[in-house]
Amino acid sequence: MDIDDILRDVDPTFHTIPQEKRDLQELTRTWIAERSAPELLPWPANGLFERINSNIKRQIEKVEEMTGDMDPKTNFALIVIQTELERYRYLVRSYLRARIAKIDKHTLHYLSTDELRARLSEMELAYATRHQALLHNHYLSSFLSSFPPNLQNLNDTSVGLNMIDTPDLESAVFIRLLKNAVVRGRGVDADDVFSARESDIVILRWADAKPLVAAGSAELV
Amino acid sequence: MPIYGDLGNKLVQHAKRTQNLAHLPPYQTELVRAVTREVRELDKDVASLLEPYQGSFDPSADQATACTLLVNHLSMRRNKRCLLAYHRTRTDKLEELVWSGADPLDLAGLQAGAVNDAAAADGGESSSLSPQEEDYFRQYGDLLAAYKGQWTDIDLTGSLEPPRDLFIDVRVLKDAGEIQTEYGAINLTKNSQFYVRQGDVERLIAQGYLQKLG
Repeated sequence: MDIDDILRDVDPTFHTIPQEKRDLQELTRTWIAERSAPELLPWPANGLFERINSNIKRQIEKVEEMTGDMDPKTNFALIVIQTELERYRYLVRSYLRARIAKIDKHTLHYLSTDELRARLSEMELAYATRHQALLHNHYLSSFLSSFPPNLQNLNDTSVGLNMIDTPDLESAVFIRLLKNAVVRGRGVDADDVFSARESDIVILRWADAKPLVAAGSAELV
Repeated sequence: MPIYGDLGNKLVQHAKRTQNLAHLPPYQTELVRAVTREVRELDKDVASLLEPYQGSFDPSADQATACTLLVNHLSMRRNKRCLLAYHRTRTDKLEELVWSGADPLDLAGLQAGAVNDAAAADGGESSSLSPQEEDYFRQYGDLLAAYKGQWTDIDLTGSLEPPRDLFIDVRVLKDAGEIQTEYGAINLTKNSQFYVRQGDVERLIAQGYLQKLG
């Protein structure tokens, strides 16, 4: 907690953190959460990536403008901007790739219900739909088309097994409490309920952590 | 007569092996065909077993037939799973290649790792990909290019290592000709060494022209 946080606590209208900085914080958080969570998290709907993208574009233009200027001062500033730019790019790239990896792994699952589809961005939805179509087509032309018709589905649920693989929501994650909250965790032998304090770090099943994260009481680390 | 499921098992073993290989071993056309044939034969068996009953089969009245049907039913589905697993493992591998920047139009480079150069030179038949897989490879390449194209400022296929330094030392492993950077042109001749901006040469490092030092 730094001075800004304290001031904001006292006066909620206090806004000294510029939008860009808050965006970077949010990007970093979203990125960490996406990489830690075993399932795909919702695509940020508040225009975060539109803002980040236009920031990146602006900085690229600035770099182009400043190149060619041989003044050492400009040159130093140029290096700082480029370094920052590379880091931004890395965050966005790593975030997008983490999502694509999850989407590729369980494509049919994420396409199966509207609620799950809503987690994908428009571009990701287009990508996932097309990718699944390609795969299905590939299976069909490789062997599936010579199967008996009743065996050609990719979403059979007979024999007690669902063909659609789903992410393991019971795998473990680390969370940091952002405010005091009651944590419920299911264990192998016994369940546990305890009240955790702000900034405590807890390891528990993602299925148990999810409500806390969704309510903003905790973040993934 | 092989035991049901034997062939499927072989496919799974191939798939398992493929996971740990750097290249893609030849597509098992014959095996895939045999497993598919097995499924069709089992399905025919099921149909002929059920035929005399005219749709009024009672499992508890004829348990032996019911058991045969169940085993056939499960074997078909198992074979299907084996085939799916085999193909998915291979497409995963292909996708990896697309992401790493293998040129979809240059499939020869892909085969070179799997078969010796002489065989690769014949082209066509010696390919370790099935024709369907070649199609898939191309189509996935297009798909990825389309997705990437919406994030041009990010370079989606770029390095997933967090950037530490803007500039890095590189050694040239293969002649790569002249590249343009914002600090002027650099001529990359073999064995020379440069201090360059990482973003300018990332592609060349991935393709094996340059080696990052330090």
